[in-house]
Amino acid sequence: MKICQITWEFPPRVVGGIASHVHDLSKALVRMGHEVYVVTLDFPGAPNFEEVDGVKVYRAPSEVGHPHFLTWTLLFNHSIEKRVADVGVDFDVLHVHDWLTAPAGIAAKHFLRKPLVTTIHSTEYGRSTLHSVDSMTIDGLEWWATYEANKVIVTTWSMRHEVCGHFKVPWDKVWIIPNAVDAAKFQVDVDKGAVRQRYGVGWGEKLILYVGRLVPQKGVEYLIQAVPKISAKYPGAKFVIVGEGWLRGHLEWLANQTGQRWRINFTGFIPDSELVVLMRSADVLVVPSVYEPFGIVALEGMAAGVPVVASQVGGLAEVVEHDRTGVYVYMRNPDSIAWGVDRVLSNSGHAEWLVRNGLEAVRKVYSWEAVAKKTTELYEDVVKGGAK
Amino acid sequence: MSLYYSPNLPEEFRFLCMMHNIGAINAEKALTMDEIAKWTTMEPKTVQEHLRKLSELGYVKMVNVEGQDKYHLSIDGIRKVLTLYS
Repeated sequence: MKICQITWEFPPRVVGGIASHVHDLSKALVRMGHEVYVVTLDFPGAPNFEEVDGVKVYRAPSEVGHPHFLTWTLLFNHSIEKRVADVGVDFDVLHVHDWLTAPAGIAAKHFLRKPLVTTIHSTEYGRSTLHSVDSMTIDGLEWWATYEANKVIVTTWSMRHEVCGHFKVPWDKVWIIPNAVDAAKFQVDVDKGAVRQRYGVGWGEKLILYVGRLVPQKGVEYLIQAVPKISAKYPGAKFVIVGEGWLRGHLEWLANQTGQRWRINFTGFIPDSELVVLMRSADVLVVPSVYEPFGIVALEGMAAGVPVVASQVGGLAEVVEHDRTGVYVYMRNPDSIAWGVDRVLSNSGHAEWLVRNGLEAVRKVYSWEAVAKKTTELYEDVVKGGAK
Repeated sequence: MSLYYSPNLPEEFRFLCMMHNIGAINAEKALTMDEIAKWTTMEPKTVQEHLRKLSELGYVKMVNVEGQDKYHLSIDGIRKVLTLYS
């Protein structure tokens, strides 16, 4: 099958999780014998065309700019649409990821007369509750992407409810295909002592880790508010917060307010290879999100063999099974987060059991092979139905 | 994925996003201070101040093309903008 993935981010252009999702899915589809073409936006230093692990990557230059984000997005969609046309391949199926490249995907569906699949990774409604005119326009684009798609992919049951309920999409048009992680990537030997020392965590101290963007939906402030509560029981607790985002200034201010700023290390962005060894060296990974369509970081934690404490919200509540592959805590609740962290730190036997179960779940359910197989079934289904 | 401007987001970072979106992302696409001022509808003095701060942070680079100073985002600047998308 000839598959065209259309996405605004693909390595080295990495904004959120879509870049690695499309990259890993495409590689797995190639391993299954498909021809995969990725059409994406350019990035300085990246070639206009390259073949990465068998995936053919075409980058479109953003030809006309505009200071307004939404206007710029619509403009670069024209460049991507043109690049899809220029590839000149008789694709069997087109696959867009989120609203950012939906206009290009919809246009390609009509001029190529090929079926379109849309993955909705998250919704504007869920992210921001439609707080502005731009936000409502994005909501409209998301609706359009689901309306024009022959089939819609979401990663969890909770997202299926959200998409079907909010956009009035027929239930059977929406397939649940989970996200995945490459478990092998996380199985590396690590000198934990040396890694912990790099982040200021000494012998006998506890490394409590957060990984993700520093934006409101991730709920990092509730973890910071839990710092004094956790430290009261674990005087050697150290908190490492990995990631960047516009909320960082506020979070650092909040960290100062705890009176225990010295325990909290904001690392900013760190490379993937470093992230893997840091995860493998942590005592607990906290995922305190208040909105999470899937929660890939929890899965990465499970793959890395670190006990996961996660908010019982959205997709996270499906990825993590309470007291089997991780520990649920109430969202927006520092007391609950402190309870969850204690549940893991106070019982090493239980923590090891959670890790074993988590790793098993990653290998059986959340492998790219399983996800690519299910995605292929969906592609076959829409190809049978043709473009509508 | 969308772009939320926090009320606390420093003005120079909003400006950095605008420079990114108008395409000043490498030396070939660098723009003069006047061009940036026109695109962003900001006063040249404000633009100059933002560029100074962002250059100090390593997010913006200056190149001299045929005697004209032009500005573009560095790779770190582009990464910074991408972290502001939510």
